[in-house]
Amino acid sequence: MPTTLSSAADAANTQSLPSVGIGAMAMLVLFIAVSMWIGLRANRVNSSSGFMKGFFLGNRGLGVWALALTATIQSGGTFMGFPSLVYAHGWIVALWIGSYMVVPITGFGILGKRLAQLSRRTGAITVPDLFRARFNSPSLGVTCTIFILFYLSFLMFAQFKAGAIVLQLAWPSGGEISYSEDAAVADLRYHVGLIVFTVTVVAYTLLGGFLAAVWTDLFQSLLMFAGVMVLLFASLSAAGGLEQATLTSLRNTGPGFVYAPGYVASGAATADPSHQFLPLSLAFSMFIVWIWGGVGAPAGLVRLMASQNTNVIRKSIYVLSIYNLGIYLPLIVICICGRALIPSLEKTDQIIPRMALLTTAHWPGGSVIAGLILAAPFGAVMSTVSSYLVVLSSGAVRDIYQRFFRPQATRDELRLAAWIAMILAGVISVAVMWTPPDFLQVFIVFSTSGAAATFLVPALIACYWRRATTAGTLAGMLAGAATVLLLYIVGILQLVAPQAIGAVSGFRPWFLLGLDPLIWGLLASSMSAVIVSYCTAPLDPKLISRLFDRES
Amino acid sequence: MTAEIQDNTDPLVKSSQREALIVAGIWLAAMFWSVGCSAWLGYGQQSQPPQLMFGFPLWVFWGIVVPWLACAVISWWFGAFFVRDGELGQDLQDTDELGLGG
Repeated sequence: MPTTLSSAADAANTQSLPSVGIGAMAMLVLFIAVSMWIGLRANRVNSSSGFMKGFFLGNRGLGVWALALTATIQSGGTFMGFPSLVYAHGWIVALWIGSYMVVPITGFGILGKRLAQLSRRTGAITVPDLFRARFNSPSLGVTCTIFILFYLSFLMFAQFKAGAIVLQLAWPSGGEISYSEDAAVADLRYHVGLIVFTVTVVAYTLLGGFLAAVWTDLFQSLLMFAGVMVLLFASLSAAGGLEQATLTSLRNTGPGFVYAPGYVASGAATADPSHQFLPLSLAFSMFIVWIWGGVGAPAGLVRLMASQNTNVIRKSIYVLSIYNLGIYLPLIVICICGRALIPSLEKTDQIIPRMALLTTAHWPGGSVIAGLILAAPFGAVMSTVSSYLVVLSSGAVRDIYQRFFRPQATRDELRLAAWIAMILAGVISVAVMWTPPDFLQVFIVFSTSGAAATFLVPALIACYWRRATTAGTLAGMLAGAATVLLLYIVGILQLVAPQAIGAVSGFRPWFLLGLDPLIWGLLASSMSAVIVSYCTAPLDPKLISRLFDRES
Repeated sequence: MTAEIQDNTDPLVKSSQREALIVAGIWLAAMFWSVGCSAWLGYGQQSQPPQLMFGFPLWVFWGIVVPWLACAVISWWFGAFFVRDGELGQDLQDTDELGLGG
């Protein structure tokens, strides 16, 4: 019999919420075991091919499911930050994430086919490889490598911390569940969690390379989908339907929870009572940020390069479209039900695990189902780190070691170099995260915006504009990166008056004219790339013809 | 001369360009529908009693749910019928005189 709204809400408010049981840890252990098995399987597949293309690009063999469910910007945030925002700000977050309705078609339809073709015509295995060959410029390749290493390092460190926290708190005696940074008490459980997480993710990535990263990503995506579907049913049953949930959550909060620009609790960490979560300027911004941020992400570009053929790319569009529809709207509904059932959760990032535990508590085998739902964010974090490890090590081995130090390196030598790069990345991550710094979220957001502002316009002109020059592309990269960096510095150092818009946080960029920094970054990048390209000599027509014209 | 160059452009480059432009159009249409409809029905309404449709606030239903479903259908049509298949070509192995491959 399903839990009713009143009984579940009473349970949530008057009793302590169900705690993490053995089910969660069992599912995490199972997930780790499956990931290692995937690593071994991928290793077997890779061993039958050339090392570089196999280890770093999966022999350009990604099929529909692998490409569709792993090439865009799903990560740990899908199950952590995003639900927290819905719980805190209400239905407005549907508009904040609304652009995901076109992420599949833009993610594969704008660059997919052409990038896959260009990477074959240039023989490129990595993104820097592609730029170096497209413009016949080693310096452009090096610049690209430096930017990728810079952005991905920030992104990866934060994921290591998140993975360690999940393991720490899923410990059967671990007490509260929370994925938030302030929960990262540097105790023994955190350090054990950090080491177990690092060893696991480095080991299976080291074994299976790109394919291991992709396959675990696919596995966790399917796990997420199953978890969300189960939780959606459980949440709606417990809340007495969506209409009831919306009205109850409205009573628990205020009109802002149902209407734009969103609900901001009076006790939230903002000095301004008129704070708006999503004014119209930011609503427009988010339709640009999510779309172009996804298209320009280096890890996503690599996966497009690895796609098997055009048939795979076009089918990926509608497979991902259905997947996104089944993930994001249901997650919003679950969190709205969450606000009705658990009106005043102090740590809003707990909402998904709390709902999993609360709504399945009376089910037969409920703890295993809750464990499955809890394992999803852990899987998301692991697969994200894994893909970053591959891109980072490919940058170090292919774009630096092989390109500049050992062009004639043997297969074994390259494999050893890749392993050393990954182990080194793991060791550095553990060292940096041993005493975890606060407010890593700002670096994640900065790195995502920065990477898109750096690579999107150069990738577009590399694919479609014959007149683009090396200097123009370099100018586009530098202008995009510098603009985003500048706006973040101005905001973080509070060199301008604080703005009462956006997510409530002490570390925010300057939203110039109310727009997200990525928009200004893309504008600066486009203008610089076009102007400098027209001011510099065109590339060798033979090279352009080889890359744009029919093959003779 | 220009005509010759254009004629010689790889068919996959041409079809990719055309598809990219269509996608950009779909993105713009989705953005203006979604943000426009939400602005019309959802902003500045906090003093009004909530209007719900299937449990969704009215502005979410027309501004997010309906266009999302429409985009799913369009994506299926686009992927299944509009995007043209083409040869991606062979992987270049060795470095040539133009610096490609290797």
